[in-house]
Amino acid sequence: MTTRLETLYKARPKNRLVRASVYTLSFLTLVTWSSGTIMPGDLFTSRRLENLERFLTSDIIPYPIRESGFEWGVLWTWMSELFLDRGLDAALATLAISVLAIVLAMLLSWLFAPLAAGNLATRRPFDATPGNDTVLWRALRFTVRAVMILLRSIPEYVLAFLLLAVLGPNHAWPAVLALALHNSGILGRLGAETIENLEPAPLRTLTALGAPRRSVLVAGVFPIALGRYLLYFFYRFETCIREATVLGMLGVVSLGFYISDARGKMFYDEMLFLILLGAGIVLLSDLLSATARRYLRAAS
Amino acid sequence: MSAEAFQRRPSSFSRRGRLLFALLLAALLSWISLGLSLEDLVPREGGRSILALFMEGALNPAFDYEAASVPEGTPPLLVKVAGAAANTLLFAIAGMSLSLIIGLVLGFLGSTSWWAAEGAVSPLGRGPLRKLMPLLYAGVRALIALMRSVHELLWAILFLAAFGLNNFSAVIAIAIPYGGTLAKVFSELLDECPRESARNLRAIGAGPIQVFLWGLLPRAIGDMSAYSFYRFECAVRSSAILGFFGYPTLGYFLRLSAENVHYREVWTYLYALIVIVIVLELWSTKLRARMVIR
Repeated sequence: MTTRLETLYKARPKNRLVRASVYTLSFLTLVTWSSGTIMPGDLFTSRRLENLERFLTSDIIPYPIRESGFEWGVLWTWMSELFLDRGLDAALATLAISVLAIVLAMLLSWLFAPLAAGNLATRRPFDATPGNDTVLWRALRFTVRAVMILLRSIPEYVLAFLLLAVLGPNHAWPAVLALALHNSGILGRLGAETIENLEPAPLRTLTALGAPRRSVLVAGVFPIALGRYLLYFFYRFETCIREATVLGMLGVVSLGFYISDARGKMFYDEMLFLILLGAGIVLLSDLLSATARRYLRAAS
Repeated sequence: MSAEAFQRRPSSFSRRGRLLFALLLAALLSWISLGLSLEDLVPREGGRSILALFMEGALNPAFDYEAASVPEGTPPLLVKVAGAAANTLLFAIAGMSLSLIIGLVLGFLGSTSWWAAEGAVSPLGRGPLRKLMPLLYAGVRALIALMRSVHELLWAILFLAAFGLNNFSAVIAIAIPYGGTLAKVFSELLDECPRESARNLRAIGAGPIQVFLWGLLPRAIGDMSAYSFYRFECAVRSSAILGFFGYPTLGYFLRLSAENVHYREVWTYLYALIVIVIVLELWSTKLRARMVIR
């Protein structure tokens, strides 16, 4: 029995890269926690605990309740006033920013994905014979991939911060463009992967019948890949809403704007309310996108 | 393809088509409601000069400070960049290691593997406590939803207000939403993985923890690690951004340089971030190819 176990143990799949990665990551984790930069104890100094006590027992209690000596009946009026005064508009703006941004990202990624897919962006699409891949096509794919990786490695927040300096703060373009550009890099990559994983036979048939590249794209690739792509699309839409909320903190009118406004005035009760409102919108959009995904699954 | 299947196809496409149409319509409505105009996309005079400086900086990132004189004792720019990059990684790794623990515990409790008829693998045992299971499950799912529905930056400003500026609260600000996301994905992966081995282990008398460790986890761990690594990439970006709120990561210095209109320095910080993210992405693509069993 023991020898059988030993043989099995020795025959287990091994991989250098996986092993090296495990060691490297464990080592880095150890270094991180022993570096002294991050000390859990810092949170529990007496000054911080006092601060926390004040925050929990006074700062975040809605002020009409504090004023009235804990008369909780006024809570509802306070919340509905805050909601109608700014919450609703800001929530709708957040939604609008993310919807527009994700659709722009989708359109951009439709431009990127076919140019980056290794089986489509070649001399003859969906042809596996050697010599099909030329230097020029390879250069094109590399360039598109480089652009996409550049776009997705810069965080939305940083992009919006930089765009704000260039475009000015009086409109929502910096937030919309930042979200659209970042997500086009992600959706473009996912789209390219989707195209690369397509079943080649029907598409090869189209090419063999003499269909030009654009027909293969419009009549073959697009309809077949769309279902899968839309699943990714809705995953990204969820994150887009989260990010759109936060981008407001840079000065665009979404929820984040009022959150950072309340923070600046130290109205922490208001800040907490708006943060929870944002959480509500995120949950709602999760539900929306889950429904859309189910609708799509039922279709395929 | 059967005649029936052939007839079904056009309708399935039009279903997607309807969805696409609805999306485009929603985007148009958003455009109108935000009151956007195309003219605003063209930078004005001030913006144009900033854009020019910014583009120049991209080709010519700074290797030394742009300011004519810096205070005595300031470290060289590249040392500062390296320090900021190291801090960015430190915050990301610390946040990820905590969120992995949160994700594993909550993902384990929040997966329906417990509830399946064959399972009866209740973490609360077979005693009277078992009746509390639906409550525990609902509580865990609600906690997961709350944790991940608040963005890491919003957690960060909550903790700033509650504790004041300290590095550990930045780490928890990352760990909470990431822990929630990992918990959600882990629980889904655990629920999707095949159950035979778990059932067999259960049949020969293994306890719930043993069933989890040896029956369920091994089948899902490849996908779980691949996803965790992807989240690590995201954590690095989040950690960089936390700098905008005063933590010593790349975002902090990037913001300072941008506010002083030193766009060549901005690009030095940007390139540092881009290089880190690209290296991690290549690493994770390689790893994923090895780990995810298809």
